[in-house]
Amino acid sequence: MRASGAVSEDLAGLRHQIAGLEGRARYQEIAPAVQFAVPALDAVLGGGLEPGAVHEVAPAAPLHAGAATGFAFALAALADRTRPGQTIHIATGFGTAETGAPYGLGLSHYGTAMARVLLVQVPRPIDVLWAMEEALGCRGVAAVIAMLPSDGAIADLTATRRLALAARERASFGLILRQRTTAQPSAAATRWEVAAAPSRADAFGGLGPARFALDLTKNRRGRCGRFVLEWNHHERAFADAALSGRVVAAPVDRPARPPLRRAG
Amino acid sequence: MVAAPIKSALRITAVDDAAARLGLNAGMALADARAMYPHLKVAEADPHADALLLEAVADWCDRYTPLVGLDPPDGLMLDITGCAHLFGGEAALCRDLVHRLEAQGLRTRAAISDTVGCAWGIARHGKGGVIAPGDTLAALQPLPLAALRLAPETVAALAQMSLKTVADVLARPRAPLAARFGTDLVRRLDQALGRETESIQPRKPLPCYVAEQRFAEPIALEADVLGILERLAGQLAARLEQHGEGARFLEAVLFRVDGKVLRLSAATSRPVRDPALVRRLFADRLSGLGDEADPGFGFDLLRLSVVTAERLDVQQIGFGADDHGDDVARLVDRLGVRFGLASVRRFTTHDTHIPEYATTALPAHLVKEEATAPLLGQDSLAPARPLHLFAQPEPIEAIAEVPDGPPARFRWRRVMHEVAVAEGPERIAMEWWRDADGRTLTRDYFRVEDRDGARFWLYREGLFQREVTHPRWFLHGLFA
Repeated sequence: MRASGAVSEDLAGLRHQIAGLEGRARYQEIAPAVQFAVPALDAVLGGGLEPGAVHEVAPAAPLHAGAATGFAFALAALADRTRPGQTIHIATGFGTAETGAPYGLGLSHYGTAMARVLLVQVPRPIDVLWAMEEALGCRGVAAVIAMLPSDGAIADLTATRRLALAARERASFGLILRQRTTAQPSAAATRWEVAAAPSRADAFGGLGPARFALDLTKNRRGRCGRFVLEWNHHERAFADAALSGRVVAAPVDRPARPPLRRAG
Repeated sequence: MVAAPIKSALRITAVDDAAARLGLNAGMALADARAMYPHLKVAEADPHADALLLEAVADWCDRYTPLVGLDPPDGLMLDITGCAHLFGGEAALCRDLVHRLEAQGLRTRAAISDTVGCAWGIARHGKGGVIAPGDTLAALQPLPLAALRLAPETVAALAQMSLKTVADVLARPRAPLAARFGTDLVRRLDQALGRETESIQPRKPLPCYVAEQRFAEPIALEADVLGILERLAGQLAARLEQHGEGARFLEAVLFRVDGKVLRLSAATSRPVRDPALVRRLFADRLSGLGDEADPGFGFDLLRLSVVTAERLDVQQIGFGADDHGDDVARLVDRLGVRFGLASVRRFTTHDTHIPEYATTALPAHLVKEEATAPLLGQDSLAPARPLHLFAQPEPIEAIAEVPDGPPARFRWRRVMHEVAVAEGPERIAMEWWRDADGRTLTRDYFRVEDRDGARFWLYREGLFQREVTHPRWFLHGLFA
C-alpha cells in the first residue's frame, strides 16, 4: 500500500500525461497560485491564493466599500498576470447605483486593461450566481468578480460549494464581493475583510499608494491574521506596509493647512 | 353589432348575420337602429384590439409564406411566389387557409392572382378563388370600380359619368381619363392589370435561410422542441457551409395549433454554424422565458431561420494553446441570450476630456476594436482616475478655501469626512462648442483622502466669481 502522498503524485503525473496526449494546454488543469509577493502573507496562505477556488471579500464598514472593490480588482489584476485572460465583473443594477459603475480609465490605470474587462449586469442576485457559474466554466477567463448586494445571504454554503466546484474544474479564480461582512458559513477558500488605511504621503506631501488594512478571517490552508498592504499600480504588485500612520513633516512655520499638490 | 362614434354620432360599424337579416347595415346611425329594434346588443368599437388581432393572424399566416403584409383594417396580403407547391397547388393553399381560419372563428374570403390589385379586388368585391395568370383581364372586367382601390370621391365622380364597372373604364381612352380624374386612376388600372409592378410591404425582413418541420401530431415537450431545433440547425448548417457563412441572428418560430405564434430570437457575437451551440442558445432562451413559453395544446410547425448571416471561414484547429477567444464569445452569447444583449458590455474610449464620456460601456457584440487608455499626465503614486464612477455625480456639502483651494471637509450621504490629503486641482473645462446656452461650467477635480484612508474624487463646479458666485461641490467617483 503506497502512501497517499505518492498516490496523489502519481495521479497528478497521469493527469499531466493525459492532458498532453489530448492536446490540451497544460495550464488548464494546473494553474499557479496567485501570489502576493509579500512573504508573510504568502506563507500564511500556503504559497498564495488558490487558483481553482472562490474567495470572498467584504468591507469592514460601509465607508470602506471603495477599498473593498479596489482590493478585489487588485486581486483580479494579480490573477490576470499569472494567467492572462478576461476579467468578468457581474453586478446587479442596484449594486452599481450604490457604489457607482466600474470606470474603464480608472481600471486601466489601476492594473487591469480595460479591453479585457467584460461587464455583466443582471436583474436579480440569484442571476449573479448563475452568471458567475457560467463564467467560471469558461476558458480564457482570468478572474470573475461577482458583486452581491448587502450581505449576500444568497451565496450560502450550497451555492458557494457549487461555485467552488465550477472553479476547481477549470482552475479559474472567483471572487465574491459582499457589501457587508457576514458570519454565514461558505465554501470559499479565504475570506477577507478590507478597510482603507491612511496612506503614506509621497515626497511632496501628495497621495501615496493605496493602502489596505486586511483581516483574513477564514483561511483553509493556514492561520488567519491581519495585514496592511499597499498596491503599486505601476508595477501591479502589492507591497508590505508595516509602517502605520503617515510620515509628514510637521509644518512649524507655515499655516496649518492640508498639504496639497497643485496641478502642473 | 359594433358601434363607434363617427363625426359626433354613434354609427354602426359592423353587424353580424342576425342583424344583417333584420335589415341593419354598417353606416346606419345607432339611434335609428335602436328606434327600430330596442333590444340590440351593441359593443363598442376597439380599433386597437382589431389591429392586434390582425397582427396575430398575420403572424399565423407566416406558415404559408414569409412575405405577409398588412392591409388594414381587416385584410392581409400574402406573396406566395414559390410557396404554392408546398401545399399542393394554389387552390389547395387557398382552401387550407380559409378552412383553418374558419376553424379559428374568422370568416375569410381569399383570392389568388398574379397582381396585387386584381387579388384585392376579387377578394373584396368579387367571389374570391384562384385566377389563372392569363385571366386577369377577364376577371377584372365585371368588378365595380371600388375594387380598384380608388378614393370614394373618384368613384362617385366616375359614377356620375355612368362609368360603373372596370370594363367601362377600360373601354375609354386613357389620356382624357387621366386629365379629368388624375393619374391615380390610371396607375391603379395599370397595377391591377400587371402593366406596373407593385409589391407588398412585408412585416418582417426576409430571412436568408429557412428550415421547417411540420408535425401530424402536435408536440409540447421542451426537450422535443429543442431536439427538433437542433435537427433543423443541422440542415441549415449544411447550407451555410456551402456558402461559407455563419449565422449571426437566428429566429425560431413555433406555431401553436390554436393559432398563436411564439417567436424566439438569439443573436451571437460571432457567426455560428454548430447545431449543438444553436440548441444551447435556444435552451437558455426558453429557460429564460419560463411561463411565457406556454405550448398550449402543442406546436404543429417549427421553423428555424437565419435572419443575418456573415462570412465564416473554416478554421484549422491548431496544436498548442489558443487564446480562447471563441470560448469567451460563447460565454457572451449565453449571457446575452439569458439577460439580453445589452447586459453584457465592454468599454470603448472617446476622444474627450469629460470623464463620464471619455469611457462608455457598450454592448459587447457591438464593440469591435480594443479600447486603449490614453495616458494622463497627472499620474503619481496614486492613479489619476477613480475605479468607480457615479452615473450622476452626487452633490455634497464641502468647505473649501476660495477661490480654488481643495476641500477641508465635506459631507456625503450624511457622513462627515475630514480631508487629510488632497491632490489637485485638475481643471477640466466643458466643451463650450456643444452647449448653445453658454452654461458650461468648468470643473476642478480633487483627489482627496480622508482621515480613515478612504479616497474620493470630488469636483467643484464653476469657477468662483468668474462663472458662478457659489460653486457647488460634487462627488464623482471612488478610488481604492
